[in-house]
Amino acid sequence: MSVDRWQYLIVLGACLLITAPLELFGRGVYRQPRRAVAAVLPVAAVFLLWDAIAVAAHVWWYNPRYILGVVAPGDLPLEEVLFFVVIPLCGLLTYSAVDALLSALRRRHAGVRRR
Amino acid sequence: MSGLGYALPAVLAVVAVCVMEVGLLRTGLLRRPAYWISMVIVLGFQVLVDGWLTKLSAAIVIYDNRHTTGIRFPFDIPIEDFFFGFALVTAVLLLWEHSRVRPEVSQQR
Repeated sequence: MSVDRWQYLIVLGACLLITAPLELFGRGVYRQPRRAVAAVLPVAAVFLLWDAIAVAAHVWWYNPRYILGVVAPGDLPLEEVLFFVVIPLCGLLTYSAVDALLSALRRRHAGVRRR
Repeated sequence: MSGLGYALPAVLAVVAVCVMEVGLLRTGLLRRPAYWISMVIVLGFQVLVDGWLTKLSAAIVIYDNRHTTGIRFPFDIPIEDFFFGFALVTAVLLLWEHSRVRPEVSQQR
């Protein structure tokens, strides 16, 4: 099997790898698994439904050269299902880190003013 | 090039997310600087990832031109993808904020 068929999965893996260090800021995302699941799952379900309808209606489709060929219900490639978990996690990690940094800056600023 | 298959639902998704916040969740997310800064960062990385997925020379995702506006920018990214991405990430952040531990909020303000 050609290495090319791992492409989509590798892109998703890179997204997880690059955003992983953001977990160190604030209260993190992976350390709040219930909250993360409650945020990601309902949205992923709606978007996967949209995705499956779009594929069924031939609005878009996936190049078999760049996917493993594992198919999930709704005729969606495994990679596409993972997309709706990985990208939201990246968004959450970004937001959580930015929020933690801004809060820290605000606290520091308030501390300086009080002195 | 009717644009109905992708462009219309993409715009509707953004509208739906805004309605969800204003009419239902009222988290205040859209008023937080942390949200807009995050969305700019997410946008930057979307251009890289989406650019790779949609590049016409070796596309991983292939679109039927009849269902898009046909406008692809930057690289070969269909502009509809940006509405799609905005709706996806914003919806998740809304639910995340919705379940924020409330006492922490009152301490911060």
